[in-house]
Amino acid sequence: MSTKPTVHIEAASTLAVVISSNEPLLLLSDDLKVIAASASFCRVFSIDPAAIPGKRLGELGNGEWAMPTLASLLKATASGKAQIEAYEIDLKRSNQKTRQLVVNACTLDDGDMDNIRLLLAVSDVTDARAETRLKDDLVRDKALLMQEVQHRVANSLQIIASVLMQSARRVQSEEARGHLQNAHHRVMSIAALQRQLSISEGGNVKLRPYLTQLSQSLGASMIPDPDRLSITVTVDDSAVGADVSVSLGLIVTELVINALKHAFPDQATGMILIDYRSSGTDWTLSVTDNGIGMPAGIDAPKAGLGSGIVEALARNLLSDIQSTNTDPGTAVTISHRGNAGVQADLPTAA
Amino acid sequence: MNNGRAVVLVVEDNAIIRMGAVDLVISAGYEALEACDADEAIRIMESRDDIDLVFTDVQMPGTMDGIKLCHYISQGWPPVKLIVASGNAILEESSLPGGSMFFSKPYHDHTIKDAMARLLSSKA
Repeated sequence: MSTKPTVHIEAASTLAVVISSNEPLLLLSDDLKVIAASASFCRVFSIDPAAIPGKRLGELGNGEWAMPTLASLLKATASGKAQIEAYEIDLKRSNQKTRQLVVNACTLDDGDMDNIRLLLAVSDVTDARAETRLKDDLVRDKALLMQEVQHRVANSLQIIASVLMQSARRVQSEEARGHLQNAHHRVMSIAALQRQLSISEGGNVKLRPYLTQLSQSLGASMIPDPDRLSITVTVDDSAVGADVSVSLGLIVTELVINALKHAFPDQATGMILIDYRSSGTDWTLSVTDNGIGMPAGIDAPKAGLGSGIVEALARNLLSDIQSTNTDPGTAVTISHRGNAGVQADLPTAA
Repeated sequence: MNNGRAVVLVVEDNAIIRMGAVDLVISAGYEALEACDADEAIRIMESRDDIDLVFTDVQMPGTMDGIKLCHYISQGWPPVKLIVASGNAILEESSLPGGSMFFSKPYHDHTIKDAMARLLSSKA
């Protein structure tokens, strides 16, 4: 009758577990002699399994595992003074690139205090780290590229704006000058959107800052005396996609240009209100003035390019246009009901 | 100041934008000078002593960008007023010398004219 076999049976199963581990593992004695190495360890670190028996950790391969800090950490772990958790170390081999390793080690708690054994798990994180670095680089490159594109767009819009303003200053006819200035307002309206897009996240444009900036831009160039005429913006917290926002911005531009031109011929003061509110997929945009109101009958102005643009864009947004005499003044309301179609549904964000 | 008219130096590498800026300076009633980069701007600054304001772009070829140019001018010619315009919507105001004004492109001619008038009416 023998009293020893239980220890050997345990060791055999431990060996089997270590050897079949998918994660590179080493089973070591407290004097760092290799008891077993997993097949994965041998494969990943190019160690011949047949050459392992009897070797110490520092003697594996060409001695590349003879790392003094690792050895002293393992000894401290064996004596219970320390524990190696996610310790990072470089594996240097001749004629091969340095590999970044993350090692974990602990003692096997099997109640056998005379035969301390260490389980050392080694992960090669070189490729994962390189991948993370590559991803970070790509994200940074993308941000730089976006900035460059936005810069170019702004510069191109500046070129167009500069040419239009120079033409407007040189042209003799008042009517032609008006058309050129309107073209300039339309360009600046797109520019205001571009600016909002450049600071937006996920391509959605917050309407309040956008329409506020747009109204300031229109006011700056069209209102010579801000004490006389003013533009107020009341917009809820809606944010919409770029396509929808460009349409809304151009509609507002046309309606404000129209009101500033026609609503206040002789008034001492005047006010234009831009209002936008949404509820679910329903939304309403209105531009209201307290001017002279729309002339009717034979005095009604012929529809110009501006009203053509508003109609086309409103139709595109599957919305209805309504003009009402608010006495004093005029209100133009563009409204969209969610059931009018899904194409122009506006995502709203609080 | 030249014959009672303020002198404005426009620094911009894009020929059409520079033309537009010069046109806007003249239409505001000032005398306009032009440079296509910071190096040319410095040569002009060194060759005359009547420049009141520099209106510059930021991204330009050459040894300095518009921001460095502004610092160089504010050190060498402290009384000269500075207006900066860039296609980058957000620019750290703190990266510019104190007292200078920044506008993003495309700018409104009115806005730049107002800024020029305001800066030129205040004494350094």
